Amino acid sequence: MNTLAEKYPQDIKRILAKYPPEQKRSAIMPLLFLAQRETGQVSPEAVQEIASMLAVSTTEITSVMGFYTLFHDHPGGRYRLQVCHDLSCALNGAETFLEQLCRHLGIEEGQTTSDGLFTIEAVPCLAACDKGPVFQLQGDGEIVYYEKQTLESAKALLETLRQRAAGEVTP
Amino acid sequence: MPKLVNLTINHTRVTVPEGTLIVDAAKEAGINIPVFCYHPKMEPVGMCRMCLVDVARPVIDRATGQPVLEADGAPKLSFGPKLETACTTPVSEGMLVVEDSPKVTAARKDILEFLLTSHPLDCPICDKGGECPLQNLTLGYGPTESRFDFADKLHHAKRVPLGELIFLDRERCIQCGRCVRFQEKIAGDPVIGFYQRGRKLEIQTQTQPGFDSIFSGNTSDICPVGALTTADFRFGARPWEMEAHPSICAQCAVGCNIVFNTKREARSEGGMAIKRVMPRQNEAVNEIWLCDKGRFGYHYLQSGERLTRPMIRQNGELVPVSWETATDTIVERLKTGRSGLTVLAGGRLANEDLFNLKRLADAEHGKTLFYTHMGGGDLTGQVGLAPGSNLATLGKGDAVLVVASDLHEEAPIWWLRLKQAAARGASLVVLNPRATRLDDFAAISQRYHYGRVMDALAALFAGEAGQVLSQAANLVIFFGSEGLGVDGSQAVAQACANLLIRTGHTGRPNNGLVGVWSEPNAQGAWELGYRPAKNLTAELAEAHVTLVAGADPAGDDPALAETLQQSEFLVVADLFMTETAKRANVVLPALPYSEREGSFTSGERRVQRFTAALPPREKAHTEAMIAARVAARLGLKIEESLPVVFEKLAAETPAFTGLSFDRLAETHPQKPLLSREDLYYSGTAYENTAGLGCTLALTGSPAEAEPVTPELPAPVENALLAVPITRLYDRSSTLVHSSSILGQRMIGAEVWLNPQDAAERGLSAGAEIEIHLKSANWPVKVVINADVPAGAALLPRSVGIPAFELAALEI
Repeated sequence: MNTLAEKYPQDIKRILAKYPPEQKRSAIMPLLFLAQRETGQVSPEAVQEIASMLAVSTTEITSVMGFYTLFHDHPGGRYRLQVCHDLSCALNGAETFLEQLCRHLGIEEGQTTSDGLFTIEAVPCLAACDKGPVFQLQGDGEIVYYEKQTLESAKALLETLRQRAAGEVTP
Repeated sequence: MPKLVNLTINHTRVTVPEGTLIVDAAKEAGINIPVFCYHPKMEPVGMCRMCLVDVARPVIDRATGQPVLEADGAPKLSFGPKLETACTTPVSEGMLVVEDSPKVTAARKDILEFLLTSHPLDCPICDKGGECPLQNLTLGYGPTESRFDFADKLHHAKRVPLGELIFLDRERCIQCGRCVRFQEKIAGDPVIGFYQRGRKLEIQTQTQPGFDSIFSGNTSDICPVGALTTADFRFGARPWEMEAHPSICAQCAVGCNIVFNTKREARSEGGMAIKRVMPRQNEAVNEIWLCDKGRFGYHYLQSGERLTRPMIRQNGELVPVSWETATDTIVERLKTGRSGLTVLAGGRLANEDLFNLKRLADAEHGKTLFYTHMGGGDLTGQVGLAPGSNLATLGKGDAVLVVASDLHEEAPIWWLRLKQAAARGASLVVLNPRATRLDDFAAISQRYHYGRVMDALAALFAGEAGQVLSQAANLVIFFGSEGLGVDGSQAVAQACANLLIRTGHTGRPNNGLVGVWSEPNAQGAWELGYRPAKNLTAELAEAHVTLVAGADPAGDDPALAETLQQSEFLVVADLFMTETAKRANVVLPALPYSEREGSFTSGERRVQRFTAALPPREKAHTEAMIAARVAARLGLKIEESLPVVFEKLAAETPAFTGLSFDRLAETHPQKPLLSREDLYYSGTAYENTAGLGCTLALTGSPAEAEPVTPELPAPVENALLAVPITRLYDRSSTLVHSSSILGQRMIGAEVWLNPQDAAERGLSAGAEIEIHLKSANWPVKVVINADVPAGAALLPRSVGIPAFELAALEI
């Protein structure tokens, strides 16, 4: 059994300390990030555990997970490229960009490359409407924004990430 | 009094209290602003945009702070740049609201066009069709054609069981969030929620069993589309085919106002059948809500197992006979001289039945006994709630004490009302042996050991809580029977009554003692003079002719079964062939309350009338009629007609003085205003046109008395303390059958143990074991619950194990 409490006792303590005891539920998001730090997804057991930790229902936890594209209840690649396809970005060519990106990686939106490195997802507004096309990159415990993207800039990023992954395998 | 605000809506001038929302102000003026997400019982969220209106406010001169005037002296008005949501905008002085302009009409049309882009339009097979806000508002305000391509409609899952009671149709959902908000804010069970966003949004539940809330059925009422439907009514009937019969829920002592929707159908061999139970508005009782037991537990009323013919015992066998023969048999017996009719009646009988049976018993030099597991009703008759009481008006400065009762399980709607009272600022004090769901809202929550309730009450009254209770402007005390028998609960009631009398909390509205009875008319039985026997076994053993009505003592207690088996002459009137009926000399089929009229007195002492929803199907009679028929053969005059019986009852019973069926049928306008004509406003609950009922007057002058505390059972080594508790989904006197839709939630014979007690005995959850209680063994299933105090073994009532008060139990 690898519960969150066993794995990250210090982190949990630190997160809970940030909020007043009667508003423990504010810790839902930081704890969800903690839960998906290693595997990139939140397991049902972790949902249960967070719910009992914060004395809220599991339904509420999954509601938060469902609302944000940042949290994942299914496995994906090591890196998730989440491309905004809302109106402003669409007007700036996000749909074409997304299509090209998918074609470049040889996958459909929502799928993961066979090497397990990349998942492409179309998501709603990322709050950078003047800088579309935009995507956020989730992976290695980080979230990074990439704004005003073209296929070329994205390809370069993918290459860097590939090299980073390859570098780890053969030090 | 809140400040009043004047405004104009369209051309109508309206005066409403400050803080009123435009949508509600319009409703008062008879102007219906269409809404989907707004509900008058919940905080507005402004999600659906259906209620957009044009709002103008007086222009104020910034320099002088005075209103700017037009040339004609009228205040100058300025419209906002955009339409505003009537559901989130409070009224203000001098405001002009326009809801019939072309701009507003166009907005409504657009909102509906959007809502319908992916709505499946499967109205012909939708349960909501005919009483659907979306359907009605589309007809009223929507576009006749959509500019969207029908083939582009998004399709979602259509049969998603959220639990075994409620189905979700994802395509129909318009994402108004009423159900989610109801569960979180009103029911206090946030067990359903939104999942995902935008077009992907769906209602989800993660609990086991799914949608685990005892108020789940209400979400189907307030859902403005056919997205949430009940498993019970799904595809059962079209709303316009059904008749609506006002009635009262008989599942507990709260007395929720309901409507039985009935329909003639082939499945019932061309007869009428109840298709569903719907709430009927009574803001002093259940508002517009029902618990799931009340909504889904009615099937027993039309069960095929009901008794259909009178029967008498001949050569040891019960054989069907005519009513004349059955009546003759009883009358002959009564005439034999060894007179003395002992009536043992349950709190399921209507006031009229109890009254007539008492008259018969009195005429026959007999006695009337009340079959109950709980005492204290003589006190609720003296220091109970007075006319004018309404739990919805309890708030700041008031206090409520709950003793020995798990209200969430025993009387869900009372739980809901006290939760709300606490939210309004009333001080809630809870004194229970274990944690209950009321603790979350309690200002003070204390525990005691089973058997020590009297000491705990004394300590509570002497402490800080005592201060809170004594100094409260109004004080209501609810007492129950957790771990208590008749004598124990009588003692608790006396201690509570003493406090009420001592602190001056009697005889006025919103003050008094309320018994958490299990039956719909237990309070009525007490008011009519029925009292539990000091020693029921002895009474039954001595009785010459015993008439048991609306009770099954033999089914509850093998010892009583033994006694009844030896009865000199036993007559049983019931709906079913109960264990008691099996031992009878004469069995009489009674009429269920859905097939007759009558009245019940709720725990809050409100007398409420019910009407016949169905024609009497079987050859059954009311208990009142049975008494009248027997009396007639004995040469006595007892009225048969129920309204006349009630008049007679009112004339002879001081608390009922001045009441009649007509008085009980009186109504007055209730807030929120609701009607079936505009069900988009508050859902499909019925408006109350059949009567709000009347609270009984308080008679006599109550005096304090020393409570008589019953002795505790002698401690037995290694034994646990058996504790009777009342659970919502038990079988109780309410006759819910395990085959009904609630079957999955019904409890069987089970024992609740503390984890440590279970571990010490090597028991795991779900284990089938035998317990030793009252020198007999009983098979039960083990339930492990951390809230059970150490050393206690909780036994639900009415599952066939004779746990009536604390007793030693061995495993």
